[in-house]
Amino acid sequence: MIRVEHLTKVYDTGIVRVQALTDVNLEVQKGEFLAVMGPSGSGKSTLMNILGCLDRATSGSYYLEGIPINTLDENELAHIRNRKIGFVFQTFNLLPRMDALRNVEVPMLYSGIAPRERRKRAWEALDKVGLADHALHRPNELSGGQRQRVAIARALVNNPDIILADEPTGNLDTRSGLEIIAIIQDLNHQGVTVILVTHEHEISRHARQVVHFRDGRLVRSEVIAEPVQARKTLENSQQGRAALEPLGND
Amino acid sequence: MNLWEMIRMAMENIWANRLRSALTVLGIIIGVMSVILVVTIGQGGQARILNEMEGIGTNLFAVYIGTTEDDYEKYRITLEDCRAIKESVESIEALSPLVYGYTVVEGSPRKQSAYVYGVDSDYNQIQNIKMAAGRFFSSIDNSVARRVVVINQRLAEELFGSARMAVGKKIKVKQVSVVVCGVAESGSGMFGPESPMVYMPIKLHFQLFDSEDRINEIYGSAAHKDLVEESARKAIRVLEVRQQVKDSKAYQFVTMSQQMDAVDQVLAIITMIIGAIAGISLLVGGIGIMNIMLVSITERTREIGVRMAVGAKREDIMRQFLLESVVLSVTGGLIGVFLGVGVSVIVCMAMDIPVVISFGTIILALLFSITVGVFFGIYPANRAAKQDPIEALRYE
Repeated sequence: MIRVEHLTKVYDTGIVRVQALTDVNLEVQKGEFLAVMGPSGSGKSTLMNILGCLDRATSGSYYLEGIPINTLDENELAHIRNRKIGFVFQTFNLLPRMDALRNVEVPMLYSGIAPRERRKRAWEALDKVGLADHALHRPNELSGGQRQRVAIARALVNNPDIILADEPTGNLDTRSGLEIIAIIQDLNHQGVTVILVTHEHEISRHARQVVHFRDGRLVRSEVIAEPVQARKTLENSQQGRAALEPLGND
Repeated sequence: MNLWEMIRMAMENIWANRLRSALTVLGIIIGVMSVILVVTIGQGGQARILNEMEGIGTNLFAVYIGTTEDDYEKYRITLEDCRAIKESVESIEALSPLVYGYTVVEGSPRKQSAYVYGVDSDYNQIQNIKMAAGRFFSSIDNSVARRVVVINQRLAEELFGSARMAVGKKIKVKQVSVVVCGVAESGSGMFGPESPMVYMPIKLHFQLFDSEDRINEIYGSAAHKDLVEESARKAIRVLEVRQQVKDSKAYQFVTMSQQMDAVDQVLAIITMIIGAIAGISLLVGGIGIMNIMLVSITERTREIGVRMAVGAKREDIMRQFLLESVVLSVTGGLIGVFLGVGVSVIVCMAMDIPVVISFGTIILALLFSITVGVFFGIYPANRAAKQDPIEALRYE
């Protein structure tokens, strides 16, 4: 599904030359849940931008479902982003003046879908992330976890092949973060390929495969035999809380 | 996304910054309004002046001598020439010679400088002069050089207080006592109040001003509008033959319709120039739009990044912001048209000039405001579309 060969990215500002990625080789199968780990400056965001078709590699090749992405022009890249990729950002990046529903509609504005169909699909996507009852709220009326769920609904709405999540839990408390991971795992179980960038070890344990980056190189790759299931963790803590709450009420 | 949806989105973004959008739009409103105001008032005034000229008579023409001082010495027109023209050119309905003079007119006890015209009894008919009191002098008065004059209302008021008081009074012109037989209405005077005037039989004028038989101009009216130029040419031909003049420029003519055309053109040019100056304020308004669009684009850098990340092409971004500036300018244009027309109607009514709303001007003002929106929107929109999505997403 994703094949990256000898990928190199050099930022040359004319004053400084930064080698952001060096000879990265990576293959991601359809339905995979890959976590990209590494400290800041390790090149994981650069990789993310290239995989997300927001940026181009300096050299090497990138095939997405067999399409040689390097050869595409800007408009074709935009088209790929629109149809095949769903982004989830650390800072949510919702449009502040629109309610959740219209935020979810935004990708469809650029794929020529009729308004009525857009609305319907946006509702469905919000329903999928459990936010249908908040559809008409603006981002500033939602909690961080809810905002990220809107963002996931937006990423989902065009039925992408891959969801690229860049530190999606970075701005959330542990519980909300877990809920987001749970939703992402659910999607993955439904067959969506997920690539998740994180620097938190615990978060990366939810993936099935982890690649470690350091100084622009892929240094280690591991397969997690039994990924942590976020939903289970949540249920356990819920039970713990359920046990506590009656005491508090008495 | 169809056009209507894009317009709606643009309107929402504009509405989100109501105050500053309103202030920006104000620049365009004032621009469009002033253009319409200037043009409407200009055209109303033009219509009124032309109406007045038309009132005098579109069949009117004047024949005069040459163009230089020299010509005036060399060539002449006599009373006998006039008579010959009247007899030989059938298309001429009425004809009057005219000699100028300027002197002090003494009433008792007041004095006043005035223009003194020596004319024929047909002159009032040709110039469509209306009488405020009394009568114009007759052809008999004219032929015997009777000592009667017609003065205009302005002079009557200066000397005797009113038109009615003046009739039958004696005034002295060049020390000769003459009787006021009538008072002519002063024109409404678009160019300020009419000067004091005396009209007298031309032969009397020759006597009083002690001049030989030399006429300055001939005023005539043709039987039909289409015969004016022909009549004037024929009259000149008669003069050339009678005075044995070979120079084709010795005598010239001007017709009322020529003069109306000239006045029309001058006024139209003046209106256009002032309108264009008013149009400059539209440019200023456009700069306001550009300014606010640049601010807006900086503020919404992240939005641009997000839209690009989810699949907006550069041209989508470009279109979005361009449309915003066009919606701003068209909104201003429409409001400006309404206010401009409204204020024009009020001002025209107050100035007592006809309300001439030119749809061409309205369309032009609207088109211009759209153009301003596009012109001043392109740079900001282009800047928005050129953003690097990664940088834009990172923008704080």
